[in-house]
Amino acid sequence: MSNTMTTHWDKEVDVIVLGTGGAALTAAVAAAESGSKVLVLEKTHQIGGTTAFSGGVPWIPLNHYMKEQGFEDNREDVINFIKRLALDRAEDHMIETFVDKGHEVIKFLHDHTPVRFVSPKSYPEYYARMDEALKHGTRSLDPAPFNLNEIGEWGELVRQNPIFPPLTLEEGGAVGGIDFQVVAERMQNNTVTMGRALIASLFKACLDRGVETLIETAGKELVMGEDGQVVGVIAETKDEEIFRFAARKGVILASGGFEWNKQLVKAFLKAEFTHPVTPPGNEGDALMMAMKAGAALENMSEAWWYPAMVDPTFEYEDNVMAQLGSGRQGPNSIVVNKYGRRFVHEGTTYNDMPRAFFNYDPVKVEFPNEGPNWMIFDQQLKDSQLIVTMSPGEPAPEWVDQADSIRELAEKIGVDPAGLEDEIRKWNEYCEQGVDPDFHRGTIQFEALTSGGGSPANNLGKIEKGPFYALPIYLGALGTNGGPKINENGQVVNFKGEPIKGLYAAGNASGNPLGPIYPSAGGTIGPAMVFGFLAGQHAVNS
Amino acid sequence: MPQGTHTVEVPLDIQTIWNFVHDMNNWAPLVPGYIEHEILSERQSTWAFKGDLGFMKKTVKLQIDIKEWNEPSEVTFDLKGMSDNFKGGGYFRAEAIDEKTTKMSGHLDITAGGMMGAMVNQILTKFVPQTAEELTEAIVAKLLEINLVK
Ligand SMILES: Cc1cc2nc3c(=O)[nH]c(=O)nc-3n(C[C@H](O)[C@H](O)[C@H](O)COP(=O)(O)OP(=O)(O)OC[C@H]3O[C@@H](n4cnc5c(N)ncnc54)[C@H](O)[C@@H]3O)c2cc1C
Repeated sequence: MSNTMTTHWDKEVDVIVLGTGGAALTAAVAAAESGSKVLVLEKTHQIGGTTAFSGGVPWIPLNHYMKEQGFEDNREDVINFIKRLALDRAEDHMIETFVDKGHEVIKFLHDHTPVRFVSPKSYPEYYARMDEALKHGTRSLDPAPFNLNEIGEWGELVRQNPIFPPLTLEEGGAVGGIDFQVVAERMQNNTVTMGRALIASLFKACLDRGVETLIETAGKELVMGEDGQVVGVIAETKDEEIFRFAARKGVILASGGFEWNKQLVKAFLKAEFTHPVTPPGNEGDALMMAMKAGAALENMSEAWWYPAMVDPTFEYEDNVMAQLGSGRQGPNSIVVNKYGRRFVHEGTTYNDMPRAFFNYDPVKVEFPNEGPNWMIFDQQLKDSQLIVTMSPGEPAPEWVDQADSIRELAEKIGVDPAGLEDEIRKWNEYCEQGVDPDFHRGTIQFEALTSGGGSPANNLGKIEKGPFYALPIYLGALGTNGGPKINENGQVVNFKGEPIKGLYAAGNASGNPLGPIYPSAGGTIGPAMVFGFLAGQHAVNS
Repeated sequence: MPQGTHTVEVPLDIQTIWNFVHDMNNWAPLVPGYIEHEILSERQSTWAFKGDLGFMKKTVKLQIDIKEWNEPSEVTFDLKGMSDNFKGGGYFRAEAIDEKTTKMSGHLDITAGGMMGAMVNQILTKFVPQTAEELTEAIVAKLLEINLVK
């Protein structure tokens, strides 16, 4: 294949978008709004990518939905908050662009498309107890239920997370119990929520604007003009048929991260994570295309980390499915390494907690927490919470290790028995005293997010009632978030900071413009949609 | 209650069909997604198979208890999930149409319980009849293969 100018094109459009996730479809809507011809290419057989598979929640400061709920927000506070989390790893002008444009994007979608959200009142901010954080309400937005029939035959192609029931964030047990009857009814009438609702409603907006989508057609290579601008894409179908598509106004890379590309993971990330919790397909194609085009890179050693759990009886597209799991924050449980020792506050956010997996011990010359790590819990937790897919009151499945004593359990899972016994003795003492001096369990919002936040009552519970259980916790991710560096228009820039003409990126295909932060629910889809929108708009207006 | 019955006319006599169907070892591997089965006693067995729900696959272990053997026309059984909360049952029925033709029916019903029951049953509504059909068809195909192709 050549990546120089070509005279033969199979199709000519104004804008080509790679991917059908949140970043891509928002970009496509923005580009098509002014009547430009937009072509969307999707590599897999389904649309929506990780976004459809996800909670679908964007985090958008100052949005009008929160205002309607009576929640105050303030530009300066948000900017300070993001800066506090980013620890000097994001540029001020990108933070400001996100804060200033984000709510406009959401308002535009509300006014001109079927995309609708709800401000989930009972779903606080993850860092609500930090001084700089929003204390009342949330900047997260929950996609409103959407009927898949509205996008006709495309409805069947919207990716589905097998674990998520068709409920909104608040209905989904976040505020007390799932109503499985509602779930059954929604399934019957094809009503979806979360990521599927976001994708289906964005896709409807695309259909309404005449956007063309080709599935099973991967963007493979950028076609560059003689003066270095991007003028098209070479694409390949699953049957290895090659097409050359011209893009008069720009190409937007929104094809997700590189978590399914082992070589790139090894090259860039701090540790080789074993359990992406995303659907396969995100293999770093955009990153490789952008590198070839001379893009500067950003945030490359980062990902949206997640401590993943596995119920080995679930498979998704021929892989045992790594799941978000649940129960980690609960009382009557701790997480330990191979020495049987705790090494982190177990209930910190999913993006923060796994960072402790990378700790290096310069005396032992090893990474003691690189895994396998284990969640150890007792019958009390088992009886009170859904843990991965285990419902309370049902017998533990055979894939969960269990034993009548801690020592026996440790031996079973290959963890130092003396270490684990000692750690649990200490933990139980802390529970009695109501403080965890080692890691401060029971003190942060996230560990009991919707039940008043962390407290000794919510989070410090003894591990004392057998049988005792152990579940491995793996290094996983909701996607990577390093990639080509973008500017405030979503343009990919080179190492001199100059835009590469005709080339844009958004979402996990780009370096996260907010740095390595996950400010609250929606921390990834928020910037993905905002910079996707800005890219689409700039491509057709510049 | 998710259930499905599939009926096929088979160009074989009823005894040939009975000889095949009455021994579970013959048809267990024909269950869609079959992984393994173990005969525990004359009436009891465990089965593992991977159910293809379209948007995901789920490995399930079942215990099957034969309720009745009515030679040559009926085998009925109960089933229950060993680590998943569901139960149900099924049957194979054979009815002679003439000396050389038999009507064969396979039936399956599976109902999920527990707090997720309503949701799981919604998924099973499509899966159970499909499995009943695929299994019955697979048994017929096997019967024809061994009895007609000599
Ligand atoms: C279970 C789960 C829940 C989550 N919940 C949330 C949440 O509520 N809020 C939040 O902010 N984040 C959440 N996340 C993370 C979030 O889903 C992702 O970070 C985000 O959706 C990424 O969006 P994207 O548009 O960049 O990429 P994606 O949505 O992954 O889309 C990329 C698309 O590009 C396609 N593609 C790949 N290569 C090519 C190619 N060469 N050509 C054409 N197409 C290609 C892929 O197949 C895919 O469809 C969650 C993640 C998971 C796994």
